[in-house]
Amino acid sequence: MSIYIDDHTRVIVQGITGKIGSVQTKWMLEYGTAVVGGVTPGKGGNTVEGLPVFDSVAEAVKETGANASVFFVPAPFVLDAFYETVDAGVELIVIVPEHVPVHDVMKMRAYMEGKDLVALGPTTPGILVPGKGKMGIMPASLFAPGRAGIISRSGTLSYEFAGILSEKNVGQSTVVGMGADPVVLTNLSDILREFEKDDETKGVIIVGEVGGDQEEQAAEFISTRMKKPVAAYIAGRFSPQGKRMGHAGAIVRGSAGTFAGKCEALEAAGVTVLDSPVEVADWAILNNLQ
Amino acid sequence: MRLHEYEGADIFESMKIPVPRRGVAESVEDAAEIAGEIGYPVILKAQVLVGGRGLAGGIKTADTPEALENLAGELFAKEIKGLKVRKILVSEKADIEQELYIGITIDGYSGRPVVVASTEGGVHIEAVAEKSPDKIASFHVDPEFGLYPYHARNLFRKLGLTQRTLVSCADVTVKLYKIFSGLEALQVEINPLAVLANGGVMAVDSVLEIDNSALSRIRHPLPDYWERIENSLERKGKEIGVTYVDLDGDIALISSGAGLGMASMDIIGKHLKPANFLETGGGITADLLYKCMDLVTTKKRIKAVFINIYGGINPIHEGAKGVVQFIKENNLQIPIVAKALGNHQEETWEILSSGGVHVVTDAATEVAVARLVELLAA
Repeated sequence: MSIYIDDHTRVIVQGITGKIGSVQTKWMLEYGTAVVGGVTPGKGGNTVEGLPVFDSVAEAVKETGANASVFFVPAPFVLDAFYETVDAGVELIVIVPEHVPVHDVMKMRAYMEGKDLVALGPTTPGILVPGKGKMGIMPASLFAPGRAGIISRSGTLSYEFAGILSEKNVGQSTVVGMGADPVVLTNLSDILREFEKDDETKGVIIVGEVGGDQEEQAAEFISTRMKKPVAAYIAGRFSPQGKRMGHAGAIVRGSAGTFAGKCEALEAAGVTVLDSPVEVADWAILNNLQ
Repeated sequence: MRLHEYEGADIFESMKIPVPRRGVAESVEDAAEIAGEIGYPVILKAQVLVGGRGLAGGIKTADTPEALENLAGELFAKEIKGLKVRKILVSEKADIEQELYIGITIDGYSGRPVVVASTEGGVHIEAVAEKSPDKIASFHVDPEFGLYPYHARNLFRKLGLTQRTLVSCADVTVKLYKIFSGLEALQVEINPLAVLANGGVMAVDSVLEIDNSALSRIRHPLPDYWERIENSLERKGKEIGVTYVDLDGDIALISSGAGLGMASMDIIGKHLKPANFLETGGGITADLLYKCMDLVTTKKRIKAVFINIYGGINPIHEGAKGVVQFIKENNLQIPIVAKALGNHQEETWEILSSGGVHVVTDAATEVAVARLVELLAA
């Protein structure tokens, strides 16, 4: 199996008529994803890549049987689209856009609470199950099917790790972009819990970065609740303090979120901390993930 | 965007949080005039956007006009952690009985605002957290419900506050939360919140940082964001729509993602020194990469350019055209190493090679950096 997406996943694309939305829809279809339609308010009745476009999410769900949605919605409109999508009963929501205001993300988190759904992002490349399907923008050519699970705060670094592993014939079970914002909709430890349960995944790689406390919190989860081997890489060793390194979440404030603090917490939890991305291949081979 | 103390104080005042009488001086004469109006003694505070300003000598007390002239002169001549002092806040010296702390920030893991209060104000809150955690109390706010006075009263009761001070602190905290949510702040802080001899309170400092992603929709008039970016290259980066952080090495770096950029810096940093961090985000075009090449090669001492890009959301084959155009137009002679993978990778390699770029097709950035080191050694 895989985590979050499987053979029953039927995807709609929100913002499907936009430049990025339409190109990415084509690529998701080419990868074999069951994309069944799209939503752009005011563009209902059109088609994109042969798929029907609807004015509302509820209508799209009713007409296509969709249970998952990927967002290519401009950042200021994400909050509204999110409420609409949750209300329509969609079970998996992937929010690709960056620059969503963090106060909106906090409202989204509060709205999700107690409801039976999973949401990833914002600022995520999405999720990809090699050879099966993908929601988001991950470039398919770098991934191969296999047994390593990857969770990454950064989009581009998830590609780097998958690429290095694939080159050494270490395939991946599922690759999850958790998002690079200070608040994300699903925390690192919740994604780890899914990988721990997943039969196909035999080991997990965390691609973290400086800022926030996702890795520190995950360390606690790993030490008490995980049996599968875990490796981690933390980007930003040389990032100057107090500077925002591109991602809104990648900023060291005072003594919180430092490279050293994260590595220490992860090591204490029994995680193999990788000095550089290239080392992931040897670790994976050593742990029989090939 | 971080606001200056005086800008934060104005916002506090507009919300009826008590603040000292004060004025902003751009010269020693200004400072003398403001102090004359307020009456001595006054406090002079350098307006620079760095932490630890007090310890760096950026805060002084002047008891007389003569002392003010000397101290203001010294402050204006000073650089604090590399930043020039252009403005000084001249402020009334309050009659302080006790110093408290109130801060509201975002707890990323719970996804909620968290109010932190302490009876140990005036010092770094992290130091208090370490030494005397019993003097700190915190409360997580439900962002849909908001913060009410009873939440704030309960918080301060935990710290032992009573009577007028309890109610005043709760009142200030609720107003501070209104600022936090209304201005979409990442952080607001009053440190210290002074308890006065009469039991009232006064915010004698302000920290306020606003979410850049929300700037365009905030109705409250805000200062110009561009003006406060001190480094001209960093300002240029903002103008062309990329994140640029200036560093002191000589290897220029362009990456198509923040994580990849940080990792590239870390790997380059093992052998060489990066001159900058540049991250394009998801908006690559030929024109953008042309401008990025221009930006990262502005500094004279640049020895090489390292490009690390992925075609996920980005059309890297378009970006490659901009790189090559820049090299040709400027007859750039330094080595340029590029790793470019993902959608349209073959086309990208071809274009880059045609411009004399050393293209590395391996998956690992390590391999590309090794190539760079080799080229520079040759």
